[in-house]
Amino acid sequence: MTSTVNTVLPAGSPPPAARPGAGRRARRPLSDIALPYLMLLPAVALMVALLGWPALQVIAISFRKLDLGELVRGEIKWVGLDNYANVLNDPEFWVIALRTAVFTVTVVLSTLLVGLGIAVLMRHLSTWVRISLQVCLVLAWATPIVATTTVFQWMFDQEYGILNKTLVLLGFDSFKGHSWFASGGSTLTVIGLLVLWQAVPFIAFTLYAGLLSTPKDLYEAAAIDGATGWQAFRAVSWPSLRPLLMLVTFLSVLWDFKVFAQVWAIRQGGPDGQSTTLPVLLYLKGIAGSHFGVSAAVAVLMLIILVAVTWRYMRLLVRSPETEL
Amino acid sequence: MLRKTPAQRVALAVFGLVIAVVFLFPTYWMFTTALKTPAQILSPDYDLIPLSATLENFGNAIAKPGFSTFLTNSLIVTLGSVVFALVAGLLAAVPLARMRFRGRKGFILLVLVSQLAPLEALFVPMYLIMRDADLLNSLWGLLLVYVAFTLPFTVWTLRGFVKGIPIELEEAAMVDGCGRWGVFRRVTLPLLGPGLVATSVFSFITAWNEFLYALVFMRDQDKLTLPVWLSSFRTAFGTDWGGIMAASVIYAVPALIFFLLLQRKLVGGATAGAVKG
Amino acid sequence: MRSWSKAMVGGMAVALAVAGCAGSGSGSGSGTSSAAPSGPRTLTVWLMNGSAPATLTDALHKKFQETHKDVTVKYEVQQWNGIQQKLTTALSGNDAPDVIEIGNTQAPKFASEGVLADLTASTGDFNGANWLSSLKDSGNWDGKQYAIPFYAANREILYRKDMFAEAGIAAPPTSRQEWLDAITKLKAKFGSDPNFQALYLPGQNWYTLLSFIYDEGGDIAKKDGTKFTATLDSAEAKKGLEFYKQLIDASGTKAPKDADEQTPEQAGIYGGGKVAMIVALPWEVATAAKSDPTIKDKTSAFPIPSKDAGKTAPVFQGGSNLAIPANSKDQDLAKDYLKLISTDEYQGQFAKAGMIPGTSKDVSALQADPVNAAMAKASTNGKAVPATPGWATIEAGQNPIKDMLTAYLTGAKTIDAATSDANAALNKAFSGS
Repeated sequence: MTSTVNTVLPAGSPPPAARPGAGRRARRPLSDIALPYLMLLPAVALMVALLGWPALQVIAISFRKLDLGELVRGEIKWVGLDNYANVLNDPEFWVIALRTAVFTVTVVLSTLLVGLGIAVLMRHLSTWVRISLQVCLVLAWATPIVATTTVFQWMFDQEYGILNKTLVLLGFDSFKGHSWFASGGSTLTVIGLLVLWQAVPFIAFTLYAGLLSTPKDLYEAAAIDGATGWQAFRAVSWPSLRPLLMLVTFLSVLWDFKVFAQVWAIRQGGPDGQSTTLPVLLYLKGIAGSHFGVSAAVAVLMLIILVAVTWRYMRLLVRSPETEL
Repeated sequence: MLRKTPAQRVALAVFGLVIAVVFLFPTYWMFTTALKTPAQILSPDYDLIPLSATLENFGNAIAKPGFSTFLTNSLIVTLGSVVFALVAGLLAAVPLARMRFRGRKGFILLVLVSQLAPLEALFVPMYLIMRDADLLNSLWGLLLVYVAFTLPFTVWTLRGFVKGIPIELEEAAMVDGCGRWGVFRRVTLPLLGPGLVATSVFSFITAWNEFLYALVFMRDQDKLTLPVWLSSFRTAFGTDWGGIMAASVIYAVPALIFFLLLQRKLVGGATAGAVKG
Repeated sequence: MRSWSKAMVGGMAVALAVAGCAGSGSGSGSGTSSAAPSGPRTLTVWLMNGSAPATLTDALHKKFQETHKDVTVKYEVQQWNGIQQKLTTALSGNDAPDVIEIGNTQAPKFASEGVLADLTASTGDFNGANWLSSLKDSGNWDGKQYAIPFYAANREILYRKDMFAEAGIAAPPTSRQEWLDAITKLKAKFGSDPNFQALYLPGQNWYTLLSFIYDEGGDIAKKDGTKFTATLDSAEAKKGLEFYKQLIDASGTKAPKDADEQTPEQAGIYGGGKVAMIVALPWEVATAAKSDPTIKDKTSAFPIPSKDAGKTAPVFQGGSNLAIPANSKDQDLAKDYLKLISTDEYQGQFAKAGMIPGTSKDVSALQADPVNAAMAKASTNGKAVPATPGWATIEAGQNPIKDMLTAYLTGAKTIDAATSDANAALNKAFSGS
């Protein structure tokens, strides 16, 4: 919708340091042309140096044999596609990839639903209830992972866990001694809950912030026009939420696909490797097994999967009116 | 806003509180565990509400050698990276959202793509880069790494928020005689409030919790950060669970304070949006 | 890393943690260099958190700097968590430490990669005749010695003297049958208490299983040069596994079948006072005493009994090795350090702290405490896991032996299916891909 105002926009609209009243597009002084680049410089320099460059090196490493010995001696041994062959020829890899995908989709969808629900809810709560809710959310978000993984393991412990104890107390006797970590599916469900619990606060806060930055008078206008709650949401909230929602979906896909610490801490990818996801595989090959070349190949394959999944969205973002001025 | 009946209000409040309790529970469980003695932690009794409490774990955690050093290091690195990420992120977000220049789409793509790589895979090349730049064992080096980790997100989110501000508002302010800087300061910045809060809380928590890079990059014991300290509760001869939980509670406090300080802004941003319709 | 950390050390003050370590001004304060005459040379030593007692390192570093006037020992205590990543990066740096401690189950990975200095020619200098054989094997790759023993520990059975007496058990069991009989007697005496457990044994205490398998004459794998082939599907291994199940069934333990002895921490449960026996390391008594200080005096220990009366079962030995990184700038100096630390004088400190010294046969200091004495008795028959770099991923956490135990104990798999699955998984890990 903003694309329609394209031409109205001053060339370098509201940046700090721009000289007031500097010329419109017709005459652009050099400083105006350089300005956006200067403003981008710090961020781009850091991202290129500390994310882009290491990522390129990972790609290069994926074509090398890089075990601990080569790393320590600084040797460079090119092995072509051996690492990829090694990974892809293991039928287990495909099982793990599929499992990771299912896990990601499930967690992302549930996180978004819960997060959006809470964001909308926050808007309708009285101040003190809202702040209590927000404090609880921040606590969940800010609790260190070493503590959350431990607490979840205890809550779900077979004998001493509060969950089984409570279920038995409520009369569900079959949960006495029930093992939540006996199968991969059940283990991943617990991990998914843990990830969801810590991811929802961020989503809820971001979407809530998005709702808030919708000017209030628009709601008032909608109310005057006699809109119901749902209509007001569709007409007023949704347009400003939609890009944010796409953003958090995109980010959630990235994060949940790459989540490692929680998966590892709960059961190290067990039992029988049934909760092993791609980041766990990456860890096993790399840090645990010291086959950094193979591990880099897994990382590149993860990257390819992520690009394939998010490509449409990224293209949409780069090409669509959303990014037009 | 739409009006609600009292019954609706109560129902909403109850619903909101139920959700709050659900989200609080694991944290609550961590907190009550921190109040338990070792024997109570593994007690077969039903203890949803702690049967007795001790502050011993908290005392032990704070008394652990180095706590204040690590706390200071963590605060420096975390707050520093939050500020850096916000400044650099906002500087980049404005042109990406509002200016026309060559290569803009390329930059947008860069921001998007740089979030794809798994950080666990980057640590070996990253270590070599930091070593060559002589930034190992330096809080500055760690700070820069955290800025880099949070920047793509910060830039992207802030760009979204800048775009979300109706351009008409800025134009109206222009017409009212504000200069560009004035428009930015009086209209754009206040409207960005919630976005700035959301991104800085994000940066804060990311940097505050980061363990792997802090561990690998820091050699001197007096340069370690709190997450590394937290891991010292697991020793060879067992894990001090009560201690870990108490330390985690202490550990979560600064993040909470940070949020509470900013939470007024989260509300303030919205009302400021009505300035000059 | 886990068995490693579990198998480590004990008895001394927790304060060893992070920065604290000593601060005693004797030159062992972590992160700080000593007060010794500042010379041109620095020796960087990395030992693990909770490893060598401060009494050892303080005296050692004082002595070392007396004999090496121009040298400063930079002693840095490392955390277990993330040590893999830390070592990987540090070893490849141009500022690699000069002496490192590595867990014995990880030593083969480092040894086989050629990132450690070859110490074969110097074994004589390091008290080589008195080495603990299991740790010697861990540091040996393809006939060359890359890491020397440091210290070790092995599991034993901690039991409540008072409960044994009340149940009318005259002497600690010395055979499997007597062990089972003791369980029966304990249950007869205390079984009316629903929370009582004659033996607390979680489903995934695989170190205990290893003892039973060794006792039957089996092993995890058989060695051929540097190659290992898993042998968990052997008749001996199956017998060991069956006895494990027999113990679980006989004792009616409430311990989870899907977790190991650390989740929840078994010493804490033992400390709760309703458990008569656990299979544990000696210093778990101290952990239990945190719940109940009186439990220390009520506890004694006996070695894991063999199926043959009067013998003790062989045990898995966990511990640490010492090594010199190939990138160390001053390897001769580092060797001097190893020479000093492997003398009886300093190794004796381990025995005093309740651990098995790695390069000394003198375990007399362990005899003073019956809990330590039981460990020492079994230690002569100690074994290590296969010395193959392929063990690294198993060590990291994906342990097929644990999965095998849970699957068999919960009835999810038959004994044949469980053992053959685990065997296949082990062979895959050994193949190192």
